[in-house]
Amino acid sequence: MIQVTHLKKTYSNGLEVLRDVNATIQKGEVISIIGPSGTGKSTFLRCLNLLERPSGGSIVVDGQDLMSSKTNVPHLRQKMGMVFQNFNLFNHMSIMDNLCIGPVKLLGKSRKEAEQRAIELLEMVGLAEKAKAMPSQLSGGQKQRIAIARCLSMEPEIILFDEPTSALDPTMVSEVLGVIRSLAQQGMTMVIVTHEMRFARDVSTRIFYMDQGIVYEEGTPEEIFEHPQKERTRVFINRIRDYCYSIHSPKYDLYQLQAGMMQFCQRYFLSQPVQFRVQLLTEEVLQLVPLDKGEVDLALRYSEKNETVSLELLMPVGIVSVLKDKSRQPDELSMSIVEGLCSAMTEVVEDYPEGPRVRVQFELAKI
Amino acid sequence: MEVKILKETTETVVMIEGRVDTVTAPELHEQVSPLWNEAGITLVFDCEKLEYVSSSGLRIILSTHKMVTAKGGKFILRHLTAEVRSVFELTGFSRILTIQ
Repeated sequence: MIQVTHLKKTYSNGLEVLRDVNATIQKGEVISIIGPSGTGKSTFLRCLNLLERPSGGSIVVDGQDLMSSKTNVPHLRQKMGMVFQNFNLFNHMSIMDNLCIGPVKLLGKSRKEAEQRAIELLEMVGLAEKAKAMPSQLSGGQKQRIAIARCLSMEPEIILFDEPTSALDPTMVSEVLGVIRSLAQQGMTMVIVTHEMRFARDVSTRIFYMDQGIVYEEGTPEEIFEHPQKERTRVFINRIRDYCYSIHSPKYDLYQLQAGMMQFCQRYFLSQPVQFRVQLLTEEVLQLVPLDKGEVDLALRYSEKNETVSLELLMPVGIVSVLKDKSRQPDELSMSIVEGLCSAMTEVVEDYPEGPRVRVQFELAKI
Repeated sequence: MEVKILKETTETVVMIEGRVDTVTAPELHEQVSPLWNEAGITLVFDCEKLEYVSSSGLRIILSTHKMVTAKGGKFILRHLTAEVRSVFELTGFSRILTIQ
């Protein structure tokens, strides 16, 4: 249905929001786009119906290239409805008029036909009694449900939702999500930019995780939420907070490092025993690592989702064997403490622009 | 870290306050190692105010235990906090040492 290839968007001030987006959306799919703020999710959505003009790449909808000068853009836009964060209702018109103006003016329907359909749609979103009301008389959640009904009145083949609940009071989020959920059950093709992770997980057929101006990782909800493959996806999904520190020499400042870690632990309300173990693990791990062989980047990570704490070291290649060598004296004791404190230890070699580095992760056992 | 050594009639008590880690362990070593040579000593490390100990501190404690018992003395750890005790349990030192 929609094929996006090498999509780019750079603003006139040089800000590159979309670097190289590639995606395919099939009829009947519900795609949720998630990711940190400022990674181009809404820009991508707005490019799909040309509310933003892409700087490069192509968007092909049902075989028609959106970027081609020959393409009837208004007609293509009719196929793609859009629901905005701030509803964008016509505030000077009644709800009924909001729902009828498009079908009458753009689809050529009679007022009677349009009203009949509007009543059906208002019933569908649970707001039939508000037909004569003005937008100002409605709550945020009701306005958004009207915006969805208005979008549906144009008989779109696909609906793009741009953070449909982010302007709403938390008590009103569920009523809007309920309507979107019911559209998904009816087989409507939808692309939803959202921060509602549980909703995205429940309603979507596929998830796009956007980061760094690309679709960084995509997969089924289970793949993305349970087994994310890439580092940045994992950090985002598991709501990982971290404290980072670089060690440049064996004479590093242990107290500065541990004070920073304690501040971090206190910020996330980690218990005294956990704080003690974090300090101990850090000191012992650093006894195992020769600190004179290059910079060691250290990160204390706390996953708010899983409530796990881990210590991660990124080091020059060559230190691995030292870590694994338990017979090395006088570090046998340090190694036994580290093993006693941790539920898991992993080591991987990763490629970086400056060359390969070793990432070692120590997961603190839960108390 | 602060260390106070109290010589009482039946035992010598070393009161350790604060942290024994890679930074402070050499200082502890310096203060307690002269006691290793006293034959038949009953040496007590009072850890009531010991907040933190790492392997650097454990090494000194283990050396103290070895040296004192080799000369017919007794070595006792007293008043360990829960967190400090957990380090001794983690390493199996709690099975070797006398902890009161």
